[in-house]
Amino acid sequence: YAQEMTVSGKVSDAAGGEIAGVNVVVKGTTRGTTTNDKGEYNITVDKGKTLTFSYIGYVSREVVVANATTINISLTAEATALNEVVVTALGISREKRSLAYSITEVAGANMTAAREANLGNALAGRVAGVNVSKIASGPAGSSRVIIRGNKSLQGNNQPLYVIDGIPMDNNNFGQAGLWGGSDEGDGLSSINPDDIESVVVLKGANAAALYGSRAANGVINVTTKRGTKRKGIGIEIGSNYVFEKLNDLSDLQHSYGSGSYVNGVASKPATQQQAYEWGDDSWGPKYDNSQVIGFDGKMRPYSYQGDNFSRFYKTGHAFTNNIALSGGNENQNFRASVTNLKSSTIIPNSGYDRINISLSTNAKFGKRITLDAKVLYSEEKAKNRPNVSDSPGNAIQALWRTPGNYSVLDYYGDPNKPGAIPAGTDANSLSIFGKTVGEEFQQANNNWGQNPYWVTHQFIKTDKKNRIITSGALKYQITDWLYIQGRAGLDKYQRRGEALTPEGTGYQRGGARSMGTWDVQELNLEYTLGFNKEFGKIGINAFAGGNRMRRKYEYQNIYGNGFNVQFFPAINNVKGKSWDYNFSESGINSLLGSAELSWDGYLFLNATARNDWFSVLNPATNSILYPSVGASFVFSDAFKGLPSWLSYGKVRASWAQVGNATIDPYSTNLTYSLNGNPHLGYPMASFSQAMGNGGNIPNPNLKPLTVTEKEFGIDFRVFNNKLGVDFTYYDQQTTDDILNATISRASGFGSTSVNLGKLQNRGIELLITATPFKSNSLTWDVTLNLAKNNNKVKSLIEGTKELVMEEPRTRNAFIKNIVGQPFGMITGRVQKLSPDGQPVFYNDGRPVGSAGYEVIGNGIAKMTGGLTNAFNYKGIDLSFLVDFKWGGDILSGTNMRLTQWGVSKQSLQGREGEAPLTVTGVVQEGTEYKPFSKTLTPREAFDYWNSVGGEADAVTPMFLYDASFIKLRQMTIGYTFPKRLLEKTPLQNLSISFVGRNLAILFKNIDNVDPESTYSNGNSQGFDYFGFPSTRSYGFNLRATF
Amino acid sequence: CDTDELHELNINPQALNQVNLNLMFTTVELGIASNGSTGDNRYIDWRTNIGWCSYAIQQLANAGGGIAPGDKYTVNAETNAAPFEFTYNDQLKNIAEILKQSGPGGFAEGKYVNMRNAARILKAFSFARLTDFYGNIPYSEANKGTEGIFFPKYDTQDVVYADLLKELDEASAALSTSNADEGFAAADFIYKGDIAKWKKFGYSLMLRLAMRISNVDAAKAATYVTKAAAGGVFASNADNVWVAMADGPSEWVNQNGISRAFDPGDGGQPSYMSATLIDFLKGTNKGAVADDDPRLMILSGGIGEWTAAGFTPISVDPLKQKGMPNGYDQAMLDKLEGGAVNLAKTYSRINVKMLQDSDPYMIMNYGEVEFLLAEAIERKIGTGIAGTAKSHYDAGVKASMQMYTPYDASLTVSDAAVAAYLTAYPYGTTKPALEMIGEQMWVNKFFNWWEAWSDWRRTGFPKLTATNYPGNVTNGTIPVRLRYPTNEVAGNPNYQTGATLPDDFTTKVWWDK
Repeated sequence: YAQEMTVSGKVSDAAGGEIAGVNVVVKGTTRGTTTNDKGEYNITVDKGKTLTFSYIGYVSREVVVANATTINISLTAEATALNEVVVTALGISREKRSLAYSITEVAGANMTAAREANLGNALAGRVAGVNVSKIASGPAGSSRVIIRGNKSLQGNNQPLYVIDGIPMDNNNFGQAGLWGGSDEGDGLSSINPDDIESVVVLKGANAAALYGSRAANGVINVTTKRGTKRKGIGIEIGSNYVFEKLNDLSDLQHSYGSGSYVNGVASKPATQQQAYEWGDDSWGPKYDNSQVIGFDGKMRPYSYQGDNFSRFYKTGHAFTNNIALSGGNENQNFRASVTNLKSSTIIPNSGYDRINISLSTNAKFGKRITLDAKVLYSEEKAKNRPNVSDSPGNAIQALWRTPGNYSVLDYYGDPNKPGAIPAGTDANSLSIFGKTVGEEFQQANNNWGQNPYWVTHQFIKTDKKNRIITSGALKYQITDWLYIQGRAGLDKYQRRGEALTPEGTGYQRGGARSMGTWDVQELNLEYTLGFNKEFGKIGINAFAGGNRMRRKYEYQNIYGNGFNVQFFPAINNVKGKSWDYNFSESGINSLLGSAELSWDGYLFLNATARNDWFSVLNPATNSILYPSVGASFVFSDAFKGLPSWLSYGKVRASWAQVGNATIDPYSTNLTYSLNGNPHLGYPMASFSQAMGNGGNIPNPNLKPLTVTEKEFGIDFRVFNNKLGVDFTYYDQQTTDDILNATISRASGFGSTSVNLGKLQNRGIELLITATPFKSNSLTWDVTLNLAKNNNKVKSLIEGTKELVMEEPRTRNAFIKNIVGQPFGMITGRVQKLSPDGQPVFYNDGRPVGSAGYEVIGNGIAKMTGGLTNAFNYKGIDLSFLVDFKWGGDILSGTNMRLTQWGVSKQSLQGREGEAPLTVTGVVQEGTEYKPFSKTLTPREAFDYWNSVGGEADAVTPMFLYDASFIKLRQMTIGYTFPKRLLEKTPLQNLSISFVGRNLAILFKNIDNVDPESTYSNGNSQGFDYFGFPSTRSYGFNLRATF
Repeated sequence: CDTDELHELNINPQALNQVNLNLMFTTVELGIASNGSTGDNRYIDWRTNIGWCSYAIQQLANAGGGIAPGDKYTVNAETNAAPFEFTYNDQLKNIAEILKQSGPGGFAEGKYVNMRNAARILKAFSFARLTDFYGNIPYSEANKGTEGIFFPKYDTQDVVYADLLKELDEASAALSTSNADEGFAAADFIYKGDIAKWKKFGYSLMLRLAMRISNVDAAKAATYVTKAAAGGVFASNADNVWVAMADGPSEWVNQNGISRAFDPGDGGQPSYMSATLIDFLKGTNKGAVADDDPRLMILSGGIGEWTAAGFTPISVDPLKQKGMPNGYDQAMLDKLEGGAVNLAKTYSRINVKMLQDSDPYMIMNYGEVEFLLAEAIERKIGTGIAGTAKSHYDAGVKASMQMYTPYDASLTVSDAAVAAYLTAYPYGTTKPALEMIGEQMWVNKFFNWWEAWSDWRRTGFPKLTATNYPGNVTNGTIPVRLRYPTNEVAGNPNYQTGATLPDDFTTKVWWDK
């Protein structure tokens, strides 16, 4: 019978300073504690056992407990520690060495220095194999995080986010599409970076296997901060202030203004009516400084009026303040924190605010019962999320389109109602506009291209989200080696969205109003019985348990248009109202188990299994088992006599099957519903699945997709841990992928769901950590992560080689999944070729478009990575992160339209006095092809650019760009005040830093826009169309503890 | 762990497993108007009926603004796609389900006989419109997605027409007052369950379809013209098929799609009338009112400003009415008129009395039937038609002129005004008889522009002059069909083998000879 004793002591760093929060764990068990703010700990342990001390950024140490009851220990700083304990699936702490799979931990501090409002975006460039796409939709937008490639052709490919063991809803509230719209944000934005202790990325199926049907895309496990035992109350204050500035990448022509071709000659407007007709087109003659009439009837010099971007875009601000209190004793501790973020973007009148309140407590009742409870509350408010992609309400597009001879301020109109036709406008102008004073002041005869000030000042679009994520875990240690635990977790939010299209808007003169609410909740109840015991050299760590998940979703929306009382935008004031209602419930019951067998601390065998039963599937086929097995072998410990330069070495291998149950409730059976809006009192019915255009044909035999993954890896460290390499190879096969296959509209529907997709992802991940230089005063650490993923679509619906995904507004391209090609190929109309390969032209020199769509590129980067350099010199920290993506493409609708509108430099070619535009190829006459070469007249060149930049026979490769980039993603320079300077103050710690985010694009290959300017976070990546412009942000960060 | 409670979670509290098919029929009736029974019902009218057909057939003109590929023969992807997507996905989807569930093996097998046959007539109406737009279309395998046919094959237009005529024959014959009503009258907001009228609609549509193939299959045309005449066609404007529309509940929902497209508070499609139509309505002597078509100031509301606040006329003087030429942009108009042209102050607009949100939507009228009968007699197609070509022509003109009161009670034309017109332009004397019939059918189909376009393609009347705007894609000829939607080209493997190719605006459909 082992002798139990209490050991206490202090953990310090090499310089003698205490380290708080060090994990102190009895090796081979789950028993552990952490050090308090004085670096002190206190743990009950059996004599002869080993204590593992680990902390992020330090090399872990192990000490065998002999007779001493005080063990003081010092840890050496290290970029990545070897024997760390990490939080794995279901919140279970494990020694990293025992893991059969790759796992990456990112400390919370990395997310609070230079910030992103969305946690997903903060991970960019940090983790090998994690591909983060920053969406061109502004700071309050969504993120797209893809781990080890896309697993599903059309389903959700983003990972499961787990907050303190509770799965979180990361639903999207809307993305811009073909017809425009705005990124309405996702669930992830609710998480406060100041509350994050660490983020663990469970990359593969193996790591995530215990999440079963939700694990296919990997899991991101967020652990929030908790209180520690300390004297008195600890206070931590953080302040962060950053400016956001436009990173103007535009390179436009500044020699030609508003106008069009008359009788083959580029002409300035001669009348106000003409100026209004041509207000959107920069096809006039060369600037001559003459007086020319404008759309508003005013005379202006016909010359370049200077940069409109700097006139319109403002400096954005983000101000975050955080205060956290923590305290505790032997038996109970707590942490409470409040964080307030207030921000505005570079677009006038647009911003995002967030309040986060968190409370955590853990308590010990007697020796055997522990309680851990957390509450995270958040309140988010987004104001005027910008519309991107197609125009209605897109100020960004209106700005790009403004001819150079106008200042955008000419569009300002009524000073008291920006964007509106000012009082005193003459009758003739009103007649040309067809509008009255107070309505939208349109700069051109195009109701769908808005006045940018009207959009930013008269449109209203707000959304508010209140969310609570709470969890409680109660653990009873039945004996030293047997425990039982129950956990309940609730994620519940209400979102309210409101929009006003004001009266007088070009495309909707009567105005419109909508108000919608979402009520979503997910409840998880989980219980486990655990066993943990060593028998000599053999250790067994096992548990079994169950989970019950229930999800409820309710959505209501009221939409109305036209107002009874003018300019009174109450929903009860609208003339006509229609109503939408959506409700669903779903659930998953699960049984799960895990066993780990260890031999002498260097050989580990793991196996897990989870069985899920789904409410959304047909009862006959609703049960699915998800297994995993793995092994880890620390050969540096197993073999004696290895070279001394090898500090550590481990190989690992694993196999697992996981799923992704992206099947909507009620979607497996065809049903009928009543139309919520009867006609003239006559009730109407149709299919529930497709009341109108499109819709999906349900499939009763649908099941979740399965991802089967094999993973091999090696970790080693050499030269006294100065250089470390972590290498992983994985091979994943997705089978039974659910395809909402786009089908012929002649079938009556737009799509159908089938379990036929097969996808393959194979890739490598490499993490290199090095300390090239280290002295007493200067340390230089380098971390490089690289990943390459090869994706291949193996099969689709029988008889189908291609699956159509998304179409951009230019209507000349499609993203398709094509058998034998990588996921998400960009296809487009290319120039038609004669049988002998000559480009075919019309007689006037316009290119003839191909009949079909050809593969022209792929919107997903093949290779991603990041390089962090960190220097520390006597309290001064300098760190910068450079990240890159390589090998993807982007089809730029922005550049296409800029050329069509005569705004781009490309559109100069062929104008009077500019470089001539000569085309050479063939023309088709009947079935004959005749050689053809022509230098186009300016008018023909105008038609040429209108054609290639328009929808007709556009030649898409001309606007396809390599989307590779290298960016200086983040830089921080900080100073931590020495302790001795603070001795006479109540301060314990004080640091101040300069922080910068997205500071520079070091390499890109595309004109005018950011290579990351994809406007949607959906599966179809690689379309750019008037997204939120590139910005850089920089500011200051202050942290103080008392 | 597989519990009953888990299974019960998957029962949708908002859905039914079986439905009263009459409720789907109501959806169909609303859908045949603008193909938007449950969504944006101005989509297809705006893009195709107006944006393409009304300009190509030169009843309206557009110098800028809105969607107008038909004015200058350019490409607009939505114009091409809209009828295909919305017709199959709106009324045809619901019709297919009605026919399936009331047919063999359906949950309502053998029930709703009259409603079922009315649905077959609406099916023929809808498919005819589709095939007239594109040529070959998915027909025999269409709307069978729920049976696993996701990429239906294309049927040639002659096969489609043969079956549509057979369908109309069977359905019209099967409609009977001796069948039980079974809720049909209460769901049928067009005819309120009047079986006699439904039969007339079936035979009138049969007459239209038969005449449409008369240039390419004279025998079949004759057979069905004869059947239609025997079965009984529309006999007065009281038989006209109108889909009643409503003021709401909100924008685009259950409102008149054509009105919505022109509404200055919505898309703001310009409502200028074409010079070709205004000139026709003004008659031979442009300087006199006496010889005008009485419809001049019914179709035209005058020259004026139209804003959200209402229509403010500048001139309602018939002599001052002026149409806009097709194929002109603003600069070309400025040059033509010799100065800056303010469009609103220059050109006649569609009468706003016919562009109210709740104005009914014309589906088919008696006037057309009379013109078709006149033409059949002139061309000696079929037998059994009573009367003379002239008597039918005169009746058609009268019916066409007097059919506008459902839009607004003030839009009347007196019998005397009709008689005066017929005296001023005697049948077969002013111009050759067939040309006069063709011109009258053209005016008759104002608002049903896709029909006017089909008639013109078949008859060549009225004689139109094509425009030749720079950059047009038809080489300066009036387009004669639509292109298929891009996702059909990119996605349906049967497209290459069965569609009407080359997929150009200048490729004629089968009946267009």
